[in-house]
Order: sequence, then C-alpha cells, then structure tokens
Amino acid sequence: MKHALHSVVFGLFLASTAAIADDMPTFRLLMKDGRILPETLEVPAGTRFRLEVKNEGPGATEFESLELKKELVLAPGVTRTTVFAPMRPGTYKFFDDFHPETGQGRIVAK
Amino acid sequence: MGNAFFVVWRESLEAFLIAGILYAWLQGNDSSGKGKRALYIGLAAGVGLALLLGWALLTVQDELTGNALEAFQIGTLLVAAGLITQMVLWMRKNGRQMKARLHADLSAAAEKSGFVGVAVVAALAVAREGAETVIFLYGMSQEGDYSALIGGALAGFAAAGATAWLAAKSLARLNIALLLRLSSILLLVLASALFVAAIDRLIGAGWLPPMLDPVWDSSSLIDDTTKAGKLLADFSGYRARPALTTLLAWAGYWLLVVIGYRRTRP
Repeated sequence: MKHALHSVVFGLFLASTAAIADDMPTFRLLMKDGRILPETLEVPAGTRFRLEVKNEGPGATEFESLELKKELVLAPGVTRTTVFAPMRPGTYKFFDDFHPETGQGRIVAK
Repeated sequence: MGNAFFVVWRESLEAFLIAGILYAWLQGNDSSGKGKRALYIGLAAGVGLALLLGWALLTVQDELTGNALEAFQIGTLLVAAGLITQMVLWMRKNGRQMKARLHADLSAAAEKSGFVGVAVVAALAVAREGAETVIFLYGMSQEGDYSALIGGALAGFAAAGATAWLAAKSLARLNIALLLRLSSILLLVLASALFVAAIDRLIGAGWLPPMLDPVWDSSSLIDDTTKAGKLLADFSGYRARPALTTLLAWAGYWLLVVIGYRRTRP
C-alpha cells in the first residue's frame, strides 16, 4: 500500500516536471509610462503559454485581468512571468490597475 | 496626481473600512478598551507586514518564488475572508452579552479569542492592499515626482480615512441592533469579495479548474474593467464573466453564512 502511494507520488512528480520541462511558447509584454506594448497580443488558442511582463517604469504597474484571473504587481524595473492555461478562442481584456486610463490591452487567442 | 489620489484611496479604503466598522462596533459593545487596543496593535502589525510584503514583491522576479508569493497572497485572502466571517458571527453572539456585562466571567475566554481575531483581521486588511500601496508609492518615488507623490498619496489616505470615518460615524448613530446588522452585512459582503478573489486567483494560477468559463457575460450591463466596475468587483465580488467554480464557491459561501447566522441567533 505504502509502495503504491510512493509510486503515485513519484508519478505525479514526473508529470509535474514534464509539464515544466515542455517547451511552452513565451510571449512578452512591456509596460512603460502607463502604457502597454503591444496593446493587442495574439496567442494560440488551446495551448499553455508563458507571459513575461516587464515594467520599464517609471512608476509601478499592476497587470490585472478579471477575465483571465491574473494579478501581477510590478515595481519599476521588475520582470515577472506567469503561465496561462489553454484558452478558448476569443478576446480577453487586461489592464494596468495603477494606470487604468491609459493602460488597456487585450489578449486575442486564435 | 489625480491618479495617485485614486489609487491610494481605493487601495487603502478596504483597510480603513474594516478598521472603522470594528471601531464603531467596539465603541458600542466593549467598554473595557481591550478590544480597541487589539485593533490598534493589529493595524500597526499590518503596516509592518505591508512593508515586508512590499519588499518581497520588489525583489521577487523568478517564476518559482513568484508562485510561492502568489500562494501566500491567496492564503492571506482566504484567511482574511474566513476570519472576518467568523468574527461577524462571534460579534453577533457576543454583542448583547458584552453590552450588558452580565456574563463577564463566563465570556472572558471567548472575549479574549475574539479580540485576537479583531487584531488579526485588522492586520491582514492593512497588509494585503498595503503592500500594493507600498509598491505604488515606491514607484512614484523612483520617478522623482515627490510633489505628486506626497500630495496625491496623502490626499488619497485622507479621503479613504474620511470615507471610512463617515461610514463608521453614521453606523454609530444607529441603534445597537441596526449597527450590528448593518456592519455585519458590510463585513460579510467584503469577506465574500475576498473569497471570490481567492478562488479566481486559484483558477488563474491553474490550481483549481474553472469548469465552465464564463457562465455568462454581463459586461454590457456592468463592465468590471471600468474604474467604477472594478471598485464594485473589489468590494462585492461582482464578476462580469464568472467561472462556474467561482460562482459555486460564492453560492457555497453565502449558504454557509446563512446557516451560521441562524445558529448564532443572539
């Protein structure tokens, strides 16, 4: 029984490292001066991908999307990455919560 | 300047509101002063925790620590939602007893644990959004824009304090039964919003399946990406495009609260 549990745990470990090791496409987003570049980011639908958000400043930013359920606070000069689950085709809005007037963008999954 | 004002106001409003409601309630129900002391200690601890968390957010860049930080933030959301809910039920049970001071000896133990709850709730309220305010203000100080920083931030703090003070003052004017009921409802709605935020972030991190997402799209009615819509989302848990998991969690939360509320009839 204990043995079986061990192999299950080991299997899960293998599965999780496999998920990390597989080559996820990486997309980059630049936040600068209250603006988001590019404002429209095209990603493949149905694929996990990694988003690398860089805040070039000046000022802090907060990459946020209620639709995509993500929230990343970035001090100036900071780069953070986050992994997105496979998306259905469609348009998903995100915004810079610290600059809501100018910082609006969308991710288009195709 | 205007932006700094709005961001600081919004980020600190939640903490001020929670502190204000707790203060109003303690004012009416606890004449020993222990509750208020617990509240002040909690608020001070929250400021320290916010600075620490802000520093962590500044230095964390790699994905693994990023995930750990995400998990920690989700944890604080869940603990805050749970504790506020528990505290509301505790307040409901103890409100009249404490006022009458008839069961002083009997409820001493319950009182003590309740005050610890008050302190933790206050600390978490300040620490959570406080950390973001720290980052925001740090960013502005990097810009070298000190006049906008000080003017906007101070005005934002002051306005959030005034908003909460007004809410607490108007609550305190009410009779004790109404005060208890209204402040309870306010706190429960806030706790449900924190819970929804936690569930959403669990889904966003891939730690919970969204099931059906979205169940509906009411963004043409109330868009949660606008300033006002976002405010509504932050304080009530409203989502224009909710996932089924989030919806079920929200419904489950209110079901448990209603059951708990019935059980703790004062």
